[in-house]
Amino acid sequence: MKIFVDQVKCQNHGLCAISSPDHFELDADGELRYQESFDEENIDEIEDAIDSCPLQAIALNRDSA
Amino acid sequence: MDSEDVRKARATHWYARTDWGIAVLSYEDSSFLLKNPRLTQGSAKWPSQHGVFDGHFDRWWQKTLLVLEGDEHNRIRRLVNPAFSPRRIEPLHPRFQALAESLVDEWIDDGRTDFAGRFAAPYATRILCVILGIDERDWKKIHELASTIGLGLGITIQENIAQIDDAIVELTQYAESLVLSRRKSPQDDILSTLVETRDADAGKLSDQELINLIILLIFAGIDTTRNQLALAVEAFSKQPDQWEKLAADPERYAAKAAEEALRINPIGRWISREAAETFQHKERTIEQGTTLHLFTMTSATDPAAFDDPDRIDLDAERAPHFAFGGGVHHCLGHFVARADIGVALTTLATRMTDLRLGEGAEWLPDSGNTGANKLPITFTPRS
Repeated sequence: MKIFVDQVKCQNHGLCAISSPDHFELDADGELRYQESFDEENIDEIEDAIDSCPLQAIALNRDSA
Repeated sequence: MDSEDVRKARATHWYARTDWGIAVLSYEDSSFLLKNPRLTQGSAKWPSQHGVFDGHFDRWWQKTLLVLEGDEHNRIRRLVNPAFSPRRIEPLHPRFQALAESLVDEWIDDGRTDFAGRFAAPYATRILCVILGIDERDWKKIHELASTIGLGLGITIQENIAQIDDAIVELTQYAESLVLSRRKSPQDDILSTLVETRDADAGKLSDQELINLIILLIFAGIDTTRNQLALAVEAFSKQPDQWEKLAADPERYAAKAAEEALRINPIGRWISREAAETFQHKERTIEQGTTLHLFTMTSATDPAAFDDPDRIDLDAERAPHFAFGGGVHHCLGHFVARADIGVALTTLATRMTDLRLGEGAEWLPDSGNTGANKLPITFTPRS
């Protein structure tokens, strides 16, 4: 299972980086950077990041290893 | 804000100088600056700028999410965001719908009504009651308190501060009783979720933070939706073709109707930011402490970003607007607002045609929260 961000939808508001700072961050130019992989134990904060995105641009790709 | 002068200025340059700071006019620059971490929200100074230095309102204001920055802001935001997610809001749609229908039933046969008083105010307030699990019979009292605290955002704050402070005290007591009752018997509402967040997380959200947040939700969640509904109806009254399109296929167009109304006629005509450090944007050096006003309606009707920008077009694919602000201060309740405005507009469109504004509307001036206190409308009920 991997994190997928729709870069067309994403507007770089940065609320995901508040919910899950270990997996999402805004770089010096204000552009979103994220890690696709995560440990299962962090699933709660990843889900909070998904919920908090104003554009609903984040999804979990359940088919990815 | 909608003047020819502002349009001309927008066509000429990305910003204009004003007596109150830099006005950012273009879509491109608004989008970049709104989310720029070098700019803070900067509203903490608001009361002191208007001669209010202490008291119940000021102490509450200094601790609201609206003005907090950095770690303290992020900690509270992280805890409360999930309570306002689409999956928490979705199940409430039928209740929004039932409320909208029952309000329309009260005046639909008359062919006219005061939209602001007979729909927008009770709808916005009672939805807030549903969200927080407040007894809907208390809505008039809640509406009055929210309006009084709303005076704290007006430039006449100093002359009204005694009653504003009283309203904060009364709402604090009300919020305390709500928290106590949910702690004793949790219900299926957002308030219970917030109370549990506090309890389960060993004091991460303190009682005081919870009370402050409830006051903010009541204050910020009512007037905003109330006014936005009036502005939406005004916008659609000028475009009967789009109103009929919405009525013909409400499921398809509900969300787009809300977005387009928010885009061309938002309650917040501008969003303010303050430079936390000196930085360069394009050819301009923005000094630390500079105030920037991002003109919401002006950027969202910028011809450089939108085709036929001043018209509602329910079939157009539009870039995102900034009616809910942006960056880490993006409106917490936007999913609620989007849902309840969409439900309200589709309900109204499916029940009324020939929608027109009547005589005697009372509009608030352009501000961070404009709208109508009185909005007479006429219409023909659909059979």
